[in-house]
Amino acid sequence: MSVVKKKKRVSKKNKKAWGKYSDIRDVEEFLEDQRLEERLGKFDTKPDSELFVVDTAGDNEEVKVEADVKPLSRKLQKRAKLNEVPKCFEVLLPTSKVQDPNKKRNHVNPIGFKPSALSKLREKRQAQKGVFEKKLVEAKKNRKMALDKKRKAKQVRQNFGLDLWGKDLPASKGIPETLVDEFISEEAQLHNVLPTQRLRPKPPLAKSVVTRAAVETPHPGVSYNPSYQEHQDLLRQVGQHEEKMMKKEAHLHRVTTGMFRRVTQAEKENQWREEMSSGLPQPHNPAEDPDSDTDNEYKAVNPPVKNKKKDHKTRRKQKERLLEKERLKREKIDKQKITDLYKLRKLQSSIKTREQKQASERTKRAEKRAATEATALPTLSAHKTPAKEPDFVDPKQLSGDLRNIQANTNPLRERFESLQRRGALAASKIMMKKKKKLKSYFKAGHKVTEKDIEKYVTRNVGKK
Amino acid sequence: MVSKKKKKYSSGEGAQFMTRKAALKKLQLSLKDFRRICILKGIYPREPRNRKRAQKGAGGIKTLYHTKDIKFLLHEPIIWKLRELKVYQQKIRRARAMREYRNMKKFLRDYPDINIDHIVKERYPTFVDALRDLDDCLTLCFLFSTFPSLKKVPRDQSMLCRRLTVEFMHAVIAAKALRKVFVSVKGYYYQVELEGQTITWIVPHHFSFQPQNKDEVDFKIMSTFVEFYTMMLGFVNFKLYHSLNLVYPPKLTAAFSADDKELIDEHAYVAERIAAMNLSLARVEGSNEAEELPEIDIFNTEDEDPQKLEEAKLEAEKIKKLKTMFKGLKFFINREVPREPLVFIIRCFGGEVSWDKDHFVGATFDESDESIAYHIVDRPTMDKQYLSRYYVQPQWVFDSVNARTLLPINNYLMGAVLPPHLSPFVDKTKDQVYIPPEEKALNDPNFKPLDDDQSGSDIEEASDEDKEDEEEADSEEDGDAEAALAKQYQQEVEEDSDSDDDEEGVDPEKKKLAKEKKKAMAVTAGVPHKEHPYQKEIEDKQAFRLREKLVRKKHRNLYKSMKAGQEKRKKEIWLLRKKRRLHDEKAKEEKKVEKRQKRQQALEQASA
Repeated sequence: MSVVKKKKRVSKKNKKAWGKYSDIRDVEEFLEDQRLEERLGKFDTKPDSELFVVDTAGDNEEVKVEADVKPLSRKLQKRAKLNEVPKCFEVLLPTSKVQDPNKKRNHVNPIGFKPSALSKLREKRQAQKGVFEKKLVEAKKNRKMALDKKRKAKQVRQNFGLDLWGKDLPASKGIPETLVDEFISEEAQLHNVLPTQRLRPKPPLAKSVVTRAAVETPHPGVSYNPSYQEHQDLLRQVGQHEEKMMKKEAHLHRVTTGMFRRVTQAEKENQWREEMSSGLPQPHNPAEDPDSDTDNEYKAVNPPVKNKKKDHKTRRKQKERLLEKERLKREKIDKQKITDLYKLRKLQSSIKTREQKQASERTKRAEKRAATEATALPTLSAHKTPAKEPDFVDPKQLSGDLRNIQANTNPLRERFESLQRRGALAASKIMMKKKKKLKSYFKAGHKVTEKDIEKYVTRNVGKK
Repeated sequence: MVSKKKKKYSSGEGAQFMTRKAALKKLQLSLKDFRRICILKGIYPREPRNRKRAQKGAGGIKTLYHTKDIKFLLHEPIIWKLRELKVYQQKIRRARAMREYRNMKKFLRDYPDINIDHIVKERYPTFVDALRDLDDCLTLCFLFSTFPSLKKVPRDQSMLCRRLTVEFMHAVIAAKALRKVFVSVKGYYYQVELEGQTITWIVPHHFSFQPQNKDEVDFKIMSTFVEFYTMMLGFVNFKLYHSLNLVYPPKLTAAFSADDKELIDEHAYVAERIAAMNLSLARVEGSNEAEELPEIDIFNTEDEDPQKLEEAKLEAEKIKKLKTMFKGLKFFINREVPREPLVFIIRCFGGEVSWDKDHFVGATFDESDESIAYHIVDRPTMDKQYLSRYYVQPQWVFDSVNARTLLPINNYLMGAVLPPHLSPFVDKTKDQVYIPPEEKALNDPNFKPLDDDQSGSDIEEASDEDKEDEEEADSEEDGDAEAALAKQYQQEVEEDSDSDDDEEGVDPEKKKLAKEKKKAMAVTAGVPHKEHPYQKEIEDKQAFRLREKLVRKKHRNLYKSMKAGQEKRKKEIWLLRKKRRLHDEKAKEEKKVEKRQKRQQALEQASA
C-alpha cells in the first residue's frame, strides 16, 4: 500500500477502461460498513453490556500441571514405535477424507490366516497329545453335513419342486421390491432388473422349426393290422418313391459315366502309340501317297486374290437397288400404320389375354414355390439333409397280432433326422476317430539273444 | 469432404449372419460347449436367402447363425458357468493323468450342475407354450427311457426319463386326457388333449435295446436335447399334478429313485414300470375328486353358425362319454399281451386292470375274480375259460377308444379274424370321399346298410348289443302305445260331443236358433301354420343364391373353384355308389339264380 504508484496516464475512454483504472475502494468499504450495520444493527443504539465484556481471567498464562510420568524405557519405546506407521510408509496412506468406494479391493490375508509349516507342526503335536480331540470330531461331522447338504441340493434339482409358470410376481422377474408399485412404469421396472436375472425376448425362430410338426401323422398303412387298401396305398407310395430314385440314378449315370466313350485296352494302346509317334518321321509308304499319280504341277493351297474393280454401271445399279429396297420398306411400314388403326381392338384383346395368362401362370408358380418351400430341406451345412422316406411295411411282416411285430426302423435315427429336417440341427456326418496303429520296432543290439527275438515275433499270436 | 467409404458386408445380409467359427470366437467357447448351449437355449442355424452375401463372399456352404441370436446368447449367465466348468474339467484331467484317482473321484462327485430352470421359463413363457412343444420332448424321453447306460449319455438320464414319463402318464390318467391311439409297426401313437392342446407322441414297442450304429446318430447331441427336455417335462409334470390336485412328486415304486443302485435286469424294470402305472396317486387333502367340466356356454357371436355350434356340442358330449368309457369295468390281461399300452389306456378311461400275479409284480386282483368283465387275450384258444367274462383281443381296446364307444365284441372275440386297425389320424375334414359300406359300418356301429342280409353270419351277437336293441324296440312300442291312447281319447271326446247332441234333441226351432247363435259365437279353429318343406327348400335355395352373389370379387374365383371341386367329388362319390349298387344287385341276382338252379337240381334229383 505504501508504495506510491507511479502515476500513469491512462485512457478511460470506454466503460471497461473506466472500471479498470478508477479507484473504488472507499466506496466499497462504505458499502461494506453499511451492510454490516444492516445485519448487526447500529453501534450507537446498542447497550454497553452487549458490546463489552469484563475481563476476569487476567493476562496470566495457564500453568500446566505436569504429571509424574517416568520416561519410557528404551525397550518400551521401541515397542510403542511398533504400532506406529513408519514414516516411510506414510506416503502410501490416503490423505483424502473420502472413503474408498471399493473397500474389498486388494484384500490381503492377515498374518496367521494360512497355516505355516511351524504352526502345522505344532498343531500336529497338540493333536497327538489329544488337545483337539473334540474339535476334530466336530470338524469331521461338519464336513459330512456339508457334503450331504450338497448332495441333497443336487437331487433337489431333479425333484422339480417349483411352479415355473405359476408365480408371475414381480419378484420372480427379478424386479427389486422398492420398484414394485403401480405408479412406476414397466420399462423403469425392467430397467432395474439385474442383467443375470433379466429374461430377454428371444429372437423369433426360423419358420421351418416352428411350423413343421415334430411328430408327423402316420400313414394309415403303417398300422400293425392295416386295411387292404391302405396298405396297398402305402406300397404304391413306396414304389413311386423308389421309381423316382431309380430314375434319378439313371439320369446321373447317363450324364456322368455314360457320357464317356468306352475304349478297349487294345484301342487304348493304339491310341497311345499314335499320339506318342505323331510328328516323328514316318517311313515312306508309296501306297499311301495320294499325289503320286498326278503330274508335278505346283498348286498353292490359297491362290492369290485379284482386286477386280467394279465399273460405273454396276455401282449405279447397286445404289438403285438399295434405294428401291428402302422405299418399299418405308411404304410397307406406312401401310401397316394405317391397318393397325383398324386392328386396335384385336390388339387390345390379345394383350389382355396375354396378361391374363401371365397372371395365372404367376399365381401357379407362386403356389408351387410355396408348396416346395413348405417341405424343402434346409441346407444348414455342407452335408445334405436326409430326405424323408416313406415307411415300408413288408406284407410278410404283417402278422396281425401284437406279439410278433417287427420294426425295421430305428426310432432314434428318425428323431435325429426329423430334427435335421426341421432345421434344428445342421446335417452332419459323424467322423469316427481312427485308431492309430502303433508300429513297434525291435531295437537290434549286441545283447539281443535268440530268445528275445522269438518273444518279439510271437508276441501278438495269443491276441489274434 | 468425401464421406468415408462404406465397407462391404457391413450392413444388410452380410452383417445379419455369422459363421459358426465367428460365433465361437465371439462367445469364447469351445465347439462342444457352443453346441450344448445352442441346444439348451433353442438357437438353431439359419438358412440365408443369398448365401454368397451372407458368407461375405466366401464360397462353399458354411453353417450360419443370425448375429442377433449370437448376441442373445452373449447375455446368458450360463456361459460364465461353462467357462468355470472348463477349469474343473482341467482339474479332473490333471488328476487322471497324475493318477490321483481319489482326487479325481472327488472332483467327479462334486462336479457342479448347471441350473437351467430359467431357460425353460424363457423359452416357454406360458404353460400352454410348453404343452405345445411337448411332442418332441415326450417322444425322445420315452425313447431314452428304454436305453441302458451308454457311453455318451449321463448315467442318470435314462433313469430320469423313466421316472418322468411314468409321472406324465399318471397325469394323463388322472386328467383322462387320452383321445386317440394308433398301433403302428413303429410303435404306439398316442394323442392327448391337455389344456386345449393336442399332444401326439410315439412310444416304441418294447424290444430290448437295439445296439445303434455308431455313425448314424450323434448320441452326445441327442443327450443334450434330452437334458433340456427332461427339465421341461419335470416342470410340466409339476404343473399338471398341481392343476389336478395331486401330490408331486408321486410315490411310485422303489425302482424309480435315483439312489437305488441295485442292478436289476431289464424285465424287472419293465414290470416295475407297469406296476407303477397301476397305482393310484395321493390327492391333495381337501380337494374333491369329481371335477366335471361345465356344459358349453353358448355365446351369440355373429359369425358362428348354429351347425358348427351343434357339432361342437356333440363333440363335447362324445368326449364326456369317452372319458368314462371303461368306468367300473374290470380287465384282466393275459400273459402274452403287451401290458404297458393296455394298462395305460384302460386306466385312462376309468377301468381297473390286473394281470397274472405269479409272473409280474403289481397285480391288484386275481384271475379267478368273478367280477372281471373282459379278459384280454392274444392267442387262438384257452384251456380254462370263465363264463362270466368276454375273451377279447387287445385290438378291441384300441378300436373302442378311437370309435369312442364300446364296440360290439363279436369281431374281436378270441380267435376271430380281426377287422383292420384303422388310423384315427386321418383328416376328418376331407369328408367328400367315397366310403364303402363296410368301412362306414366299422366307424359307426349304428349304421345299417339298406339291403342287409347278414342273417347268415355265424358269429353270435354280443348280449349287450341285443339288450340295447330290445330296449330300443321297447321304447318304440311305448311310443306306439302312447299314440294309440291319444287316439282313443280323441275318439271318446268326439263320441261325447255326439251324445250331447243326441240328448238335446227336443225343440228343433230352438235348436236352430241356438245353433245360429252358437255359429255366431263360435270361434273357428285356428289352422296351425304348416311349413311346406318343399317351399322352404326353394326359399332357402334362393336365399343362398342371393348370398352367393354377395361373395366379393376377390374371392369369387376361389369360391367358384371350390364349388366346382365339391360338385366333382360329389359326382365321383355318386358314380362309385352307383357302381357298387349295380354290382351288388348283380351279385344278388346271380345268387338268386344259383339258388334256384340248386333247388331245381335238388328237385330233379329227388324226382329222379
